[in-house]
Amino acid sequence: MGLVAGKKLFSIMALGAMIGLLLLPIAVSLPSLAIGADAPDAVKKEGEAKVEKGRDVYYKTEGIVVGAPAPKTTDGPRDYPRYNFESRVLLWFANQQHLYYGSFVLAVPIFCMVIEFMGVVTKDKAMAKRYDQLAYDFIKISLTAYSLTAILGGILIFTFLTLYPAFFGYLSSIFRPVMHIYALMFVAESGTLYIYYYGWDKMKEGFLKWIHLSMSVILNVIGTLLMFLANSWIGFMMSPAGVDEQGRYLGNIWHVIHTALWNPLNVHRILGNMAFGGGVVAAYAAYKFLASKTDEDRAHYDWMGYIAMALGVAFLIPLPFAGYWLMREVYAYRQQMGITLMGGLLAWLFIIQATMIGILFLSTNYYLWQALGRMRGAEKYQRYIKYLVFLLVCGFLVFITPHTIVMTPAELKAMGGQQHPVLGNYGVMSAKNGGINVIITTTVLSFVWYMRGNKVSTVSWSKFGNIFMGVFFGCAYLNIIWLAIYGYYIPANVRVGLSVPQVATTLSCLFFMFALNGVMMKGAKQMGPIEWGKISARSQYALIMLATAFTWMMGLMGYIRSSVRLFWHVNEIMRDNSPWAYTHTVGFAANMISFNVLFFWVSILFVFWLGSLGIKKAPVEAKAGVPGGAPQPAGGH
Amino acid sequence: MKAIMSVGALIGVVGLLLLVGMILDIVPSNTVRLVEGYMPVQMLLELALFVAGFAGLSYMMTAMGMTFPRFWQGILFWAFILLYLKFRVYPPIPFSVRAMYGTVSLVAVFMWVSANEEDWKKFKQPIMNILDAQTGMNKLLRYAYLIVLPILIGGFSYNAMVPKSEEPIELRTVHPAPPASTKVHGKTYTLQTSQNPYRVNPEGKYDQEYTNANIVEQGMGRLMKPNANPWDKDAQGYLKYVREGGEIFFQNCHFCHGDNLNGRGLHAFAFNPIPANFTDPGTIAQLQETFIFWRVSKGGIGLPNEGFPWASVMPPWEQHLTVDEIWKVILFEYWHTGYYPRTWD
Repeated sequence: MGLVAGKKLFSIMALGAMIGLLLLPIAVSLPSLAIGADAPDAVKKEGEAKVEKGRDVYYKTEGIVVGAPAPKTTDGPRDYPRYNFESRVLLWFANQQHLYYGSFVLAVPIFCMVIEFMGVVTKDKAMAKRYDQLAYDFIKISLTAYSLTAILGGILIFTFLTLYPAFFGYLSSIFRPVMHIYALMFVAESGTLYIYYYGWDKMKEGFLKWIHLSMSVILNVIGTLLMFLANSWIGFMMSPAGVDEQGRYLGNIWHVIHTALWNPLNVHRILGNMAFGGGVVAAYAAYKFLASKTDEDRAHYDWMGYIAMALGVAFLIPLPFAGYWLMREVYAYRQQMGITLMGGLLAWLFIIQATMIGILFLSTNYYLWQALGRMRGAEKYQRYIKYLVFLLVCGFLVFITPHTIVMTPAELKAMGGQQHPVLGNYGVMSAKNGGINVIITTTVLSFVWYMRGNKVSTVSWSKFGNIFMGVFFGCAYLNIIWLAIYGYYIPANVRVGLSVPQVATTLSCLFFMFALNGVMMKGAKQMGPIEWGKISARSQYALIMLATAFTWMMGLMGYIRSSVRLFWHVNEIMRDNSPWAYTHTVGFAANMISFNVLFFWVSILFVFWLGSLGIKKAPVEAKAGVPGGAPQPAGGH
Repeated sequence: MKAIMSVGALIGVVGLLLLVGMILDIVPSNTVRLVEGYMPVQMLLELALFVAGFAGLSYMMTAMGMTFPRFWQGILFWAFILLYLKFRVYPPIPFSVRAMYGTVSLVAVFMWVSANEEDWKKFKQPIMNILDAQTGMNKLLRYAYLIVLPILIGGFSYNAMVPKSEEPIELRTVHPAPPASTKVHGKTYTLQTSQNPYRVNPEGKYDQEYTNANIVEQGMGRLMKPNANPWDKDAQGYLKYVREGGEIFFQNCHFCHGDNLNGRGLHAFAFNPIPANFTDPGTIAQLQETFIFWRVSKGGIGLPNEGFPWASVMPPWEQHLTVDEIWKVILFEYWHTGYYPRTWD
């Protein structure tokens, strides 16, 4: 009893210490903020004549100039020291690898939190143990990746300092307090993560488990704040605020952080990281599944892959909507930036992006259809898959149709002008909104089929429920397609607003149909258990494809977001005068992204391999009754 | 079920015969026309009908004991899509887009034939039969493939590598990003905030909603709003400016952009590409009025670096028209096409 009380006390102290660590950066940052606030007073004391005021380029408020103007760089070793290689490419590589690992280690703890919570609240003890083991497996994978993230972060900073000293000096002069908070929060994140991981066995039951779960919440709060702070730097580079036209800091750190694009970037990145993290863990599970030698292992990794895929897709579904919001804000911030992205120089990259999004959804649907194969009773749905393929592909074809078509002058002449009567209509946003919403609604339908694959509803109103669901989906498709057509008859700004009812339709399908299906399937008759592990190898390749497409798309979107600044380090404030201030060709960019993707996957295979070294010992430990033994697959979903 | 599938089969057979007939010129090619303006939806509907038709046909053949092998179903359906895109849709779709569509269709066929184990086995069977070569015929085919496939691959490689004198493909940037501001007749206009001074309500104030309510209901001037006739000699304010814009358009622009504003004017086909088609939803409908103001003022010669391959011969109209005339002609273009200029709020 005394031992338990001691453990409780220790846990509460540990939790308190972590909260203290969390608050520490804020406390430490207060003096620096205060210095920022005092500085103008100090200037005032020296005499009013020396006070210089500037106008915020974004907020249009007046502020006292407390920073130096953005440096006017020149091409030379002072501002752009270099190796005999393109510095921008080196930075691109370092940045991208850091971002891949950063996203992964920020996403996985969120999954752990969700899965651990599911384990804690599940009444079925066997299931609870399985969920707990799965969460533990997840965090184990991310731990090695965490060290690599820190190493890559160091490499990134050194790359900035050595190759772009003038730019980095300016950025750090503006974000000085933020960068310090960032570094301190990283310490808090590391401490929390290690206690969370190494305390898993010690805090596995009762009240201590709740303390452990609370730690995962704290871990994720710190992680998310870390990301928000890092986002403020890129937000500032794209849409600067808090500085005057010369780039002089005006003393308001909140303005510098809270730029026009900060919040859309935050939302988009959280969802993107989660989807990416789910994809990577699913690929890990697929790799382990394919390499498994026993049915037991196959069953476990099949289940793991399914859970990771489901979590990733749960965040993939709202991702395009967050993307639309970001683009809308980009257009609102600078029209020419929006046009450069979607109609001009970078438009073709967006077509590639649309293709990748389509691949993500196609892979997800394909996986779910394959997964129907491990359920007895799901055959009744399988014969209709061809119609879902048709719907998906029609949405996909419209979604990827380019507005700017690659063609020879002869083809241009044969077409009778730049605008094609079919392709021209598919190439604009109204049709594309329809396309992507059809794709997402079809994915929801596939999920619904999957969830009822081996079940037969026993509720008295099941026939009515099935008809209602069918009609609901039918109306949803009609509404989405009708709005896509109607969009051509109304002003462009109203048309943009049409995405709201389209999205609402899609989300209604998601929430109402999932909920209704859940109610209908409560106490349903099972035609047979889910035979975990008895799934085709093709399904696992679909998971690997899903993860690869995520990785490629992240690289692509990062490149697009960065290159939309064109020849600016900080948009309209600090010009890039290096020899590399031009936009790469689409081909070069695609090769570079592919290289980054390849490097990431090779390195993460190393991480997986390291993780497997620990797992090999597990059966021995399991026999001895130590947690961490091979888990049994779940019987439900 | 059988009745539905029979109807599907009938549609499939009729559709297929019509398509083949039109391709081979047995049936007049305008028997089932793709109507401009409705083509995008028409194309998707046609494809949906064909899918329903093929599904019905397959069902009926199976019911009659004439099962069509899944392998050939997949291959022929893909070939059908390629032929449809090549021969049915007019004007011709450029190869790059057909290649994209063809690849996606191939993926779709793969997803369909491998969606479950049973179908996948059926699809693979002819391939496995040839690889296993248990019969004389299959053995012969295996040898034939052994010889033909390398030759085909070699031929494709040779064709890809051999130097050609074809025109290079162009990735044209149709709407390059505009500058933040533009200077016309000595005055600087900020594109983000400038407004058309003639887009006004009866009180003379800038009012997009009022002017939107007075444009023609459909493109190409087909349906004019009641009591909103710019050619009425008593028309005042916005409608009067539209008329003045129209006069300027027909004095200067319609030679190239056409009297229906569809880019098919008298001189249009001397250029490649032909002038912009304002009735297409991908041109002025998705741009701000200030973007058009900048493009009209500066012409083809004023395209920015980004506007590769700068294939525009439009004169810089600031050398021929006043600022007011440019704004008025833009007003007319939106009125006549039935589109609204883009705004961001």
